[in-house]
Amino acid sequence: MRLRDTVTDQEVKAVMDRGRQIRRAPDLVRARLLARARAAVAASTAAAPVAFPEKPAAWHERRLAVAAAALMVLAATGAGAALYSHATHSAAISPTPQRSPQRPMIPASAPEVPPAEPAPQLVSSSRLQRSHRSLSPQESYAAELDLLQRAQSNYASQDFPDALMLVAEHARRFPTGRLAEEREALRVRSLAGAGHGDEARRALAAFAKRFPRSAFLPRLREQARAADE
Amino acid sequence: MGYLRQVRSAPPEAEIETSCLSVYERELDYLFETLQRLGASPREVEDLAQEIFLILHRNWPTLDISRPFRPYLFAVAFRVVCAHRRRRGREVPYAYLEAEDPAISPEESLQSKESARVLMAALETVPLPRRAVVIMHDLDGFSIVEVAARLSLTRFGAYARLRKARKELASALRRMLKERVGR
Repeated sequence: MRLRDTVTDQEVKAVMDRGRQIRRAPDLVRARLLARARAAVAASTAAAPVAFPEKPAAWHERRLAVAAAALMVLAATGAGAALYSHATHSAAISPTPQRSPQRPMIPASAPEVPPAEPAPQLVSSSRLQRSHRSLSPQESYAAELDLLQRAQSNYASQDFPDALMLVAEHARRFPTGRLAEEREALRVRSLAGAGHGDEARRALAAFAKRFPRSAFLPRLREQARAADE
Repeated sequence: MGYLRQVRSAPPEAEIETSCLSVYERELDYLFETLQRLGASPREVEDLAQEIFLILHRNWPTLDISRPFRPYLFAVAFRVVCAHRRRRGREVPYAYLEAEDPAISPEESLQSKESARVLMAALETVPLPRRAVVIMHDLDGFSIVEVAARLSLTRFGAYARLRKARKELASALRRMLKERVGR
């Protein structure tokens, strides 16, 4: 009895020892998890506000307040209007205090400028700069290609939900991108592959309407028909 | 001079994304294993891992990545699994995963798989709060101080849970091993 307990204890220890090993996750699961994580990052990057809006905006607001106060002093001494418009233009803040009648005058000593207008302007202008940067032809084409290649590899490994997710991500980021036709074709094929016959047919109809002369059309029609059957 | 303070500039956004993703990729096997040890079924593991990634990604700018990362990751996984169980309201038994390790021989693989299967089944018998402690301490090798800190326990509480969990786990393992020998 004692011997039997001892043997069992050793086995228990062996099981615990082997249990300490971290086994490798299956490759397919790894790939799927990483694709989902990348898609989440891409979505958050596209949707997020600019990285550090608060401090620069607050600092900019204070600078604006000081500039406005200085301009008011100038205006009071009679040197005003022309310089004012020049200065506000050079500060690149579009809604000038004078143009909006309901906007209160900004006291020089108040750091808390009545807030809402300038900060969103600054954020949106930086957004414009960001989107302008991301829309440079090579970058956008490379990003489009990367997304669609990942979607295609998911499609090839019959991982249709992930393929559709990446297709949707592409459609959101590049609705009229250079690879829009390939994307929509892949959408139809993925829907058909996933067995969503109705949606595949609807997507095919939209595709045919948008790209009536596409070389993909005959093949897509075949695939949609096969999904129906 | 009181108004002067030292500030750290935030790392660029692209760098944050890359490092969060790369750390996630590096720790994916550990996360996968941990979720299974905590009793997540293969169907649930992927959704839970994605949920954990979103939490990591959200908190990444404030994380101190110079400290050991796995205890933090375990604590996040534990809380996510607990929340998931509360939502689900019941525990679903599951058939265990098939994870291949190409580096080991078929015999070793079989033995290792069998051990893993027995261990996972035995872990299932230990209630989750105690299971987390025994996994962190006895399987992952974290110190009791780290375990207590990460699971928001006192050190005494962590020791108490560990002692009880060890007894429960050993008894379940003995029972299962005997059953296997008896078959």
